[in-house]
Amino acid sequence: MIVLGSNSEVAQAFVEECLAKGEKFSIVYLLSSNPETTEKFAGHLQVKFLQNSEIIPLDLMKEIDYKTLENINSDLLFCATGYLGLGTEEGLYDDENTAQIIDINYAKLVPVLNFFAKKMESKRNGAMIVLSSVAGERGRQSNFIYGSAKAGLTAYLSGLRNYLFDKKVQVLTVKPGFMETKMTEGLPLNPALTATPKKAAAGIYKAYKNKKDVAYVLPIWAIIMMIIRNIPEFIFKKLKL
Amino acid sequence: MKPNFVQKITNWGNFPVVEKEMKSDDSVSKIKQFVRENNEVIARGNGRCYGDASLGEHIFSTKRLNKFISFDRINGIIECESGVLLSEVLEVSVPQGYFLYVTPGTKFVSVGGAIASDVHGKNHHAEGCFSEYVTEFKLLNENSEVITCSREENPDKFWATIGGMGLTGIILSAKFKLKNIESAYIRQESIKAENLDEVFRLFDESEDWTYNVAWIDCFQKGKDLGRSILMRGEHALKAELPSNLQKKSLKLKEKFKPTVPFYFPGFVLNAFTIKIFNFLYYNKQTKKQLNNFIDYETFFYPLDIINDWNKIYGKSGFIQYQMVIPKNNGKEGMRQILDTIAKSGNGSFLAVLKLFGKDNPLAYNSFPKEGYTLALDFKVNKGLKKLVDKLDTIVENFGGRIYLTKDSMSKSSLTNYLQNVNSSKFVSLQHKRIINNH
Repeated sequence: MIVLGSNSEVAQAFVEECLAKGEKFSIVYLLSSNPETTEKFAGHLQVKFLQNSEIIPLDLMKEIDYKTLENINSDLLFCATGYLGLGTEEGLYDDENTAQIIDINYAKLVPVLNFFAKKMESKRNGAMIVLSSVAGERGRQSNFIYGSAKAGLTAYLSGLRNYLFDKKVQVLTVKPGFMETKMTEGLPLNPALTATPKKAAAGIYKAYKNKKDVAYVLPIWAIIMMIIRNIPEFIFKKLKL
Repeated sequence: MKPNFVQKITNWGNFPVVEKEMKSDDSVSKIKQFVRENNEVIARGNGRCYGDASLGEHIFSTKRLNKFISFDRINGIIECESGVLLSEVLEVSVPQGYFLYVTPGTKFVSVGGAIASDVHGKNHHAEGCFSEYVTEFKLLNENSEVITCSREENPDKFWATIGGMGLTGIILSAKFKLKNIESAYIRQESIKAENLDEVFRLFDESEDWTYNVAWIDCFQKGKDLGRSILMRGEHALKAELPSNLQKKSLKLKEKFKPTVPFYFPGFVLNAFTIKIFNFLYYNKQTKKQLNNFIDYETFFYPLDIINDWNKIYGKSGFIQYQMVIPKNNGKEGMRQILDTIAKSGNGSFLAVLKLFGKDNPLAYNSFPKEGYTLALDFKVNKGLKKLVDKLDTIVENFGGRIYLTKDSMSKSSLTNYLQNVNSSKFVSLQHKRIINNH
């Protein structure tokens, strides 16, 4: 199994969910922009599941040395790479922030996903599970740089799924709503709309096994986003969302 | 949306509910920063304690300290971060033939919480408290330094922290020994006792059993006072198991776990319904004595099978009341306590009686003392404080004391027993209440 964004709580919960459900991996590749932090998780996998893993540094904000990724092969990839950055209020005109959000969530991520998609395409086997976001469904004034980058990612995944369909590779787009992670700690999130990483992981695993194309972590988000998508633009532009 | 870390927080009894700051992180440098920047910090594990323990002005939740560090499968020594739950330890250890030496009545407590409360179980008389098997832990102290504490290294802090209710710092990780088992099953004997004298006698007779505990019906009065069922058990050896369990003796089938979907309305649990429950429970077992093999979850954690069982007490919540009365006059003390409860009509749904063994004098902050201990649940209502006062007076008269992990309103003369825990850095609401009332 290949994990992109291995320090993500959802990614870690997903690896655990797979192993708890009895999935077997000869090795789990933990790609991480902060490899030192990932070591703790690697040790945890060893103790809890006797699972071997290898940590591979991967920082999308630096030049990527694809040689370090060449020998990484697996029929399952989970990508939780993402960067929320500053929202509109604090960061809209901060170009560095804007570039970083676009790079990590889309521009620099897509070539890496392509790299692994190519391997799966040639083997005609595999599954790619990628976390996008409900924020990508419609740009809202509060965080539309992030939203637009995720919209790009969602569109990329939809095209990739279409392209790889004949090649027997599953592409699952996950659109989590609120999640109880370090990234959102302290935000006043409605508990009914918020999933713990563990619950999210269980839902994603189920969607993966059921060969789903697009999955929301909590079903309520499918309804919320359907409403948001269908608000006419002349009304939407006046809303404070 | 700007982060605002103030939120409603409550322990398992849903009483009291406070609005305080709570943060969680898995990075030691971030935790250090939190401790440096705040006074009145308290660590909190999985919130399975009761009352106002683990609540404070600035709460640090260990929920993100949830990783295992090492497991020596030959010697049965495991090391993990403090937010790992005992249930998670069991998931890893039982298939390898290891069990916790000491476990409380729920497996959903964190390792850090188990040390800070120095939890006890049905085997206290035989194997002592959780701390007996802790070899070392890492503590973030009041100077925001991480120190290793063991019987040899920083022993002062080691012993002050055990049962110290988080008042000495934040436990980051711990190493502890596990017990060898041949199976995930318990050989159990359940014996009905008609009254208090009989159950006391059964406890004395069951002294050689590793585990023993009694469920007690606190609505019974007069000659039936103390009607109960004593359960005693041993880890089953593989060879003695029925053949259908022998093949996969360390593996349990996954069970259906129902969830209580919402807070029950206040009237659901009342004296009448509890009496019915108690009647059914006592009479479910028709024979005087029942011998069988049951899985460890049913034996140790009968309530864990129902998710969110605390909701049956309704939104106003409930308290637990657990005291110990020294053995020499414990029988009379227990009689008076049960009599007071029966007369109050404020019956406890679950009442558990046990005879503690000798305490470890080094673990001076640990609650257990040799004698009888009774744990009761009471729904929060108007008459409750009065009942607690009455019970406190009896406990005081008999030289007993109260378990801090469950205390929310007892007399401070019964709860003010912790030593070497006074710093301005680590303070809980419970500690403040106890100190201020003293």
